Amino acid sequence: MPPPLRELQRSFVAATLFDDAAACVAVGVAAGGLDAATRIGVYRNNVLGNYRRALAATYPVVLKLVGNAFFNATIDAFVRAHPSAHGDVNRYGGELAGFLAAYPSARELAYLPDVARLEWAIDQANIAADAPAFDFLGLRSVAGEKPEGLRFVLHPSVSLIASPYPILRIWRVNQPGYAGEVAVDLGEGGDALLVLRTAQGISIEPLAPGEYALLAALRAGEALAVAVDRATMAERAFDLAASLRRLVGAQAIVGFR
Amino acid sequence: MSAAALLPTVAGIGLRAPHVRRVLSERPPLGWLEVHSENYFLDGGPALAALEKLRTEYPISLHGVGLSLGSADALDLAHLARLKQLVARIAPAAVSEHLAWGRIDGRHLNELLPLPFTEEALALCCERIDAVQSALGRPILVENVSAYLRFSADAMAEWEFVAEVVGRAGCGLLFDVNNVYVNAVNHGFDPHAYLAAMPGAAIAEIHLAGFDDRGPCLIDTHGARVAAPVWELYRAALERFGPKPTLVEWDTDLPELEILAGEAATAQSMLEQAHAATAA
Repeated sequence: MPPPLRELQRSFVAATLFDDAAACVAVGVAAGGLDAATRIGVYRNNVLGNYRRALAATYPVVLKLVGNAFFNATIDAFVRAHPSAHGDVNRYGGELAGFLAAYPSARELAYLPDVARLEWAIDQANIAADAPAFDFLGLRSVAGEKPEGLRFVLHPSVSLIASPYPILRIWRVNQPGYAGEVAVDLGEGGDALLVLRTAQGISIEPLAPGEYALLAALRAGEALAVAVDRATMAERAFDLAASLRRLVGAQAIVGFR
Repeated sequence: MSAAALLPTVAGIGLRAPHVRRVLSERPPLGWLEVHSENYFLDGGPALAALEKLRTEYPISLHGVGLSLGSADALDLAHLARLKQLVARIAPAAVSEHLAWGRIDGRHLNELLPLPFTEEALALCCERIDAVQSALGRPILVENVSAYLRFSADAMAEWEFVAEVVGRAGCGLLFDVNNVYVNAVNHGFDPHAYLAAMPGAAIAEIHLAGFDDRGPCLIDTHGARVAAPVWELYRAALERFGPKPTLVEWDTDLPELEILAGEAATAQSMLEQAHAATAA
């Protein structure tokens, strides 16, 4: 009796991704020409190769920091530990930062997970939804009624990334064509970054503590009054009017409700 | 459902992200464009905006790689809903998927994996194609895939399986000539026997691509020019089936647009010869 389709497909995954020798037999590769292990090996190379290529495109700086061999081994381990949940490979790989944080082989590169988070934010900003232009007239009427309960809406492409390491500088010195000083002092201080897509492309901007706290609260769905409290707590000199003007102008804040 | 597509019977190219900017700005004379559906499962952004511009200039074919028609898992309805949304937005000339699987127990492998040619797989594929065609409200084309192994479970030949799926499901056939050649070499059969078993009237599109011959068997990388024996097989297919909309695909080691367009021009001149032969 041939195995039913589900058993065959389970064995195929175990044989290709997990090098399971018993599964390689259970797949039932027809005899002739190359042996079963070689044929299964072609699929192993193809599947892992696809993921390596896809994630190298998403994480070019992580790749540059660790080199090809380490990157490929890391991606292979990541793929085994984190099944892809979508038929669309563009949505795969967001868990790499978390995986790296717990990956013994990368323990010495403490900044690597945060660099991965920055690269994932850039990747996702590119494919995020569009937002309509900010409705200033509508704001005037709403704000008159209930200013303290106002909730601002961020552009769908916005990510906020905080790190104790200078990840923006690490990211910049590893861009193709970068020609300046390449040494990065890991002790030079951390970053609080705003990543988003604007009409001009991807923008990565360091934020002061107040603005970062404001946006983090708004992103969590807090009312403006709460967000302002947090911003003032994070930075005594926080200037709400100036920040709102700037963040609306930068297309980080795109609406309200 | 009729498999007659709205694709023009000329040569087109598979459009990948690195070529989008040039095609948009230069509008080269390409018959039509095919994109991978999943790359446009988006709610906005520059890639989708570009495709919406391109669709006003070229007929578009949406070619899916992730629906996993042949998986023992249930059909991924979220994926299908995304596809339906895109089809509504782009109004493509053709929608296609592969006779393959890529998901089991919820894990996607994001690869076109081969099916055993069994009655179980055949019935499953037909049921899924029917579900997709019903959801989209239009016929789809299914493509024969390349394979590096055969299963001892096989109860029929690949060409029997492909012809039977198309006949039973009432869908169109996206006939990949390169995949036939790759499989003929890898599994030792006569590609012309495969051709002879195909339902010509259901063929709504032909694919051509390049393979890699440096591995243990031919690997369908879409990373090279179309090989000479594949051009020969294409000519034989045109003689047998008449001219069909033809696409040149290139996915890895993407060359300059001119090289890809040049391959499409070769297909176009062979199509014109086939048109002339049909008229004569």
